[in-house]
Amino acid sequence: MELQLQYFLLLAAALFCIGIYGLITSRNAVRVLMSIELLLNAVNLNLMGFSNFVDPQDIKGQVFTTFVIAVAAAEAAVGLAIVLAIYRNRDTVDMEQFNLLKW
Amino acid sequence: MEQFFLHIAWLIPCYPLIGVILVIPWSPGLIRRTGPRPSGYISTVMTLLAFLHGLIALKATWNQPAQELFIPWLHAADLDLTIPVELSSITITATLVVTGINLLSQVYAIGYMEMDWGWARFYSLLAFFEGGMCALALSNSLFFSYMILEILTLGTYLLVGFWFNQSLVVTGARDAFLTKRVGDLFLLMGVIALYPLAKTWNFTELAEWAKTAHIDPTVAALLGLALIAGPMGKCAQFPLHLWLDEAMEGPVPSTVLRNAVVVGTGAWVLIKLQPIIALSPFAESVAIFIGTATAIGAAMVAIAQIDVKRTLSYLVSAYMGLIFVAAGIGESYPALLLLLTYAVAMGLLVMSIGAVVWNSITQDVTQLGGLWSKRPASGLSYLVGAAGLVAIPPLGGFWALEELGDHLSRTIPWLLGVLLLVNALASFSLTRVFGLVFGGKAKQMTERSPEVHWPIAFPMLVLMGFTLHVPIMLWQWQLIPNWATINTTVAGGLILSSAIGCGIGAIIYLNNNWTKPISFVPKAIQDFFAYDFYTQQIYRVTIVFVVGLISQIIYWADRYIVDGAVNLVGIATVFSGQSLKYNVSGQTQFYALTILFGIALFGILLSWPFLSHLSLIIGG
Repeated sequence: MELQLQYFLLLAAALFCIGIYGLITSRNAVRVLMSIELLLNAVNLNLMGFSNFVDPQDIKGQVFTTFVIAVAAAEAAVGLAIVLAIYRNRDTVDMEQFNLLKW
Repeated sequence: MEQFFLHIAWLIPCYPLIGVILVIPWSPGLIRRTGPRPSGYISTVMTLLAFLHGLIALKATWNQPAQELFIPWLHAADLDLTIPVELSSITITATLVVTGINLLSQVYAIGYMEMDWGWARFYSLLAFFEGGMCALALSNSLFFSYMILEILTLGTYLLVGFWFNQSLVVTGARDAFLTKRVGDLFLLMGVIALYPLAKTWNFTELAEWAKTAHIDPTVAALLGLALIAGPMGKCAQFPLHLWLDEAMEGPVPSTVLRNAVVVGTGAWVLIKLQPIIALSPFAESVAIFIGTATAIGAAMVAIAQIDVKRTLSYLVSAYMGLIFVAAGIGESYPALLLLLTYAVAMGLLVMSIGAVVWNSITQDVTQLGGLWSKRPASGLSYLVGAAGLVAIPPLGGFWALEELGDHLSRTIPWLLGVLLLVNALASFSLTRVFGLVFGGKAKQMTERSPEVHWPIAFPMLVLMGFTLHVPIMLWQWQLIPNWATINTTVAGGLILSSAIGCGIGAIIYLNNNWTKPISFVPKAIQDFFAYDFYTQQIYRVTIVFVVGLISQIIYWADRYIVDGAVNLVGIATVFSGQSLKYNVSGQTQFYALTILFGIALFGILLSWPFLSHLSLIIGG
């Protein structure tokens, strides 16, 4: 079986869906951040797939992927800092406790 | 000089109307120190001025052709509302009767209303009526006659409701207003329907038009019925007659006015409309039927009354019924003659009864009695009034009824029988009241009953003199036929019927051996007439019930269906706001889900055409 672009895209989409699922259903704030990482990785898979199959000469996608990984790391750092800040105030990381805007 | 007064005869209604404004300041709330009497004096003087003006104008118009004045009122598009004023001997005489009887009843009221504070209101309303009736007499336009009739309906409401702290006065005024209003509204329909047909509301032109008009019989019948309905309410004809009975709750001087002339306003309009009603034989027979039914019915009800004012009010309906009959057979001359003689005689009767009531307090004929020796002036006035009303020659009523009977015998003979019957019943009724009030032994209420003081006695006696002079004046003016040309059968029948009525009445009521109160063998029949055919109950279970029910249904529908529909919109909005706010759950993740759904939906919408291809591919 030859590896085709579609498989990569479907895998990335599946990963994205799992990430979305985790993002929306997780009650733990850190797991939400982890789900976001999954989403970013799904995007990276897409970029890599297109880069290899559609643009093997210039491989611009791979450059983008590098940037995404960098930005994802920065974002995870900021996200964890925010979670930490909230945890210090509210003594919990339960997403369902952070509902000050309710109604 | 006289011509000048004739040309400004339109001022006659204005004197009393100026009086209305002049007397109002003596209302108890405005001039607080002088008492109310000046209003009565001012109003009487204004009436006297109107009367004198009319007298001079009558001299100028006597034996002259009718003149017409036109007072511009309103001109809009193709509708020209000019007030035509007819100055003829008939209209000026009508204003004289109105102002004359008014003058007398206002002097009468100076005596009668001695212990009352409401003179300003009372006299302003009397003068208001007087002005309205003079204007009606002079107006030669159906439209303005209708307008004046409506204004007089309001006047009736206020005048009947004069002593408004009495509950029966309030209900009586209500019924008087509503009943007359219903008739007036039907009249308005007729008035409006007439304009497209005749293109005029001028009575003279209407009569001209009616001579040559060819209109659909159904239209003519409906038009005639509508035009009859107005006078029917005004003249207290069956079935719109209850108001006159209840209007007897008002003060006696206004009753003088109402019984003598106000109910005549409807008859006046009916007589003037006679050419149009003549377009439809059906409408004519309806007028005759209503008149006959009222004349017989009301005369019988009058016999069964124990309230002395009400015994007269039903006779008013009965005599107006005779005028309806006269108008129905198309004879306006006997109708006008009857209106004149009736007004004078009925005014006198009510004045005499009022004089008795004033110091005998009770109005119950079973409580009165034995006043003849103590109250000669009142008794004589009553007798003259009664003789002037029924057919007793040589007084006025005889000539009018003879004239009417003569025409009836030539056109519809069976109506002559009705006339004789009504005359006999009226004679009996008047004799009964005389016997109960003036004859017999004194009762507790009449043990000490002095004759009235001059302001009541004077107008009563003047009117008695006038009643006695009516036939002489009519004879002088050659308005009544000679003895030689008279229809002896009719005259004899009338005299005989009066004699029978008076005779039976005298035998029963002037005979002390006959035990009173008289009770009729079947009590139910006596009650049937005494309670006026239970008209009040009939109104209550028919028209009042239906209108009440419908208004309650409409109220309910408005309250719950119409209001409810609008309120439902509001409630739905509030409810949806209240419930939709729970979408703002406070959960960041829920917001994220919403965004995702939004994007997904938008994406599906955008790619819908491609997706349908996809399904084709998958399906294919």
